[in-house]
Amino acid sequence: MNDFYIIFTASLVAINCALMGSFLVMRKMVMLGDAISHAVLPGIFIAYFLSGSTGSLPILIGAAFSGIIATLIIEWFTKRARLQSDAAIGVSYTLLFAIGIILISKFGQNADLDQQCVLYGEIEYISLWLKPVFGLFELPKQTIILLSVCIILIAAVVWGYKGLFITTFDPNFALSTGIAVGFWHYFLMSGVSLTTVVSFESVGAILVIAFLSGPPAIAYLLVEDFKKMLILACAIGILCSALGYYAAKWLDVSVAGSISTVIGLVFVFVFVAVNLLKSKRDVISA
Amino acid sequence: MIENPIIEAHNLTVLYGRKPALWNVDFSLPRGKVIGIMGPNGSGKSTLLKAIMGVATPTSGYTKVYDRELDEVREKISYVPQRQDIDWDFPASVWDVVSMGRFQKRGLFKKLTSEDKDIIAESLEKVNMLGYSKRQISQLSGGQQQRVFLARALAQQGDLFLMDEPFAGVDISTEEMIISLLKEMKDAGKTLVIVHHDLHTAQSYFDWLVLLNTRLVAAGPVSEVFNDQVLTDTYGGKLTTISKISQELENKEFPIRHK
Repeated sequence: MNDFYIIFTASLVAINCALMGSFLVMRKMVMLGDAISHAVLPGIFIAYFLSGSTGSLPILIGAAFSGIIATLIIEWFTKRARLQSDAAIGVSYTLLFAIGIILISKFGQNADLDQQCVLYGEIEYISLWLKPVFGLFELPKQTIILLSVCIILIAAVVWGYKGLFITTFDPNFALSTGIAVGFWHYFLMSGVSLTTVVSFESVGAILVIAFLSGPPAIAYLLVEDFKKMLILACAIGILCSALGYYAAKWLDVSVAGSISTVIGLVFVFVFVAVNLLKSKRDVISA
Repeated sequence: MIENPIIEAHNLTVLYGRKPALWNVDFSLPRGKVIGIMGPNGSGKSTLLKAIMGVATPTSGYTKVYDRELDEVREKISYVPQRQDIDWDFPASVWDVVSMGRFQKRGLFKKLTSEDKDIIAESLEKVNMLGYSKRQISQLSGGQQQRVFLARALAQQGDLFLMDEPFAGVDISTEEMIISLLKEMKDAGKTLVIVHHDLHTAQSYFDWLVLLNTRLVAAGPVSEVFNDQVLTDTYGGKLTTISKISQELENKEFPIRHK
C-alpha cells in the first residue's frame, strides 16, 4: 500500500505541474514557476506562524498570496525598473526564499517545517498521516489536498482553455481583440502558486521544478497539438513518477531525487531519439 | 483635414523607456482606401499600429477609430501582427490559429458554432490555405505563415484592417495573392492600413501614405506626398544608398521588379 500511496501522490503532483508547466513552457516562463515555487516559502511560514498550525487552509492562502506578490515584484522590476526579466526573477526569488529560510531556521525548530523538507520533501513518509475519505478508504493527508487541487486545476484549464491558449500563443493579438491578457496571466500564476505550494511539502522544491518543466518539454518534442501536449505531459509525469520510485527503492536513494533524475534522462533519451528519427526521415525523403 | 476620418491620431507620443518610438504624431486617415505606413527601421511604424489597437500605451496623446473609443469599435477592426511576433514552433494547427479570429465574437467560453466554422473555412479558402488546415504551423513557409495570419484577420470580419508588414519575407506568389486580396477587400469597401518597407512598390500598392521617422514627416494621397523631398526627409542619408543601388541595378539591366 505504501508503494501505491507514494506513486499516486507523486503522480498527482506530476499532473498538476504538467497542466501548469505546459503553459509556462510555451510562454517561456518556466523560470517564473521556479521563482514562485521558492518565493512562497516566507508566505507559508508566516501563515504557519500566525495560525499556529500546519492545518492546510491558512498555509494555502498564505502561500498563494506570496506567490502572487512574487510575480508582482518581478513585474515591477522588469516594467518599472527596466531590469532584464531573468535578472528580476533571480533577484526577487532568492531574496524571498532566503527570507523564508531565515524565518524557518530562527523560529521553526519545533515546527513541521525545516529546510530539508522544503528542498527534498518527505514523500517517503507520506503514509504516516492517513485520513479516511468519505468513510470509504484511507488516503494520506497530503494526497487528499493534492487530489482536490488536481480537480480544481483540471476544471480551471478546461474552463479557461481558450483564454489561456490565445494569450499564450499571441498575446498582442489577444490584446487587440480586447481580451484581458493580464487577467489570464494572473489566473495562470495563481494556479502555479497553488500547485507549487501544495506540491512542495510532499515532494520538495526541486522536484516541483523538474515536474513543471520536464514532462511538458518532453511532450513538446513529441506532439504537434497543444491539447495532446497537455495530456501527454501528464502521462509522462506519471510514468516518470513510477519509474523514479522503483529506481529509488532499488538503489535505496531519495525518491524526489530519483524521479527528478528519471525526468532528466527521459528528456535526453526522447531528444536524441526524435533527432535521430528526423535525420533518418530527411535522408529517406532526400 | 479629412471629413469623417476612420483613424485619427492627436499628439501621439509613445516612449519605450526614455527612448521615443513615436513623437507628437498627428494625422487622420480617410475611409475605403489602401493606406501605407512607411519609414526606415525603428521609425515607429509597428508602434503606431500597436498604439491604435491598444497593444502599446501612449505616453501622451490619443487615437480614435470611427471617432470613438477603441473599446466601442474593436469588433470592426482586424489586426495582423508582425509574423515574427509569435513562436511558429508552437504546437498548433493552421485551423487553431485561424479560429482565434472568431474568439472575439463568440466569447472565450462558448463553443464555436457551425457558422464560425464556415467563416474559418471561407477565410482559409480566400488565402488558398484550406488544404493546409490540419498542418502544424511550424511546417509552413514564410509566405504560408503570412496567409494564415491574414486568414485569421479575415475571420474577424472587420471593416478596418491593420496589417504589420504583410509583405515581409513572403514569396512572389503570396505577394501577388495578397495584392489581389487587398483589391477585392477595397472594392468591398474595407479600409486597409499596411506597414510596408519597400519603396519600389509603394506607388502601385497604396492610395494614401503616412511617412514616419519617429515624428510624422508627411501624410496624404500618394500623388502629393511621394516625392524626393519627403522621401529624403523620411529616410535621410539611407535613401541615397537605396536609390544608388537601384540606379546601378537598372544600369546593368538587372531584373528589378517595378509594378
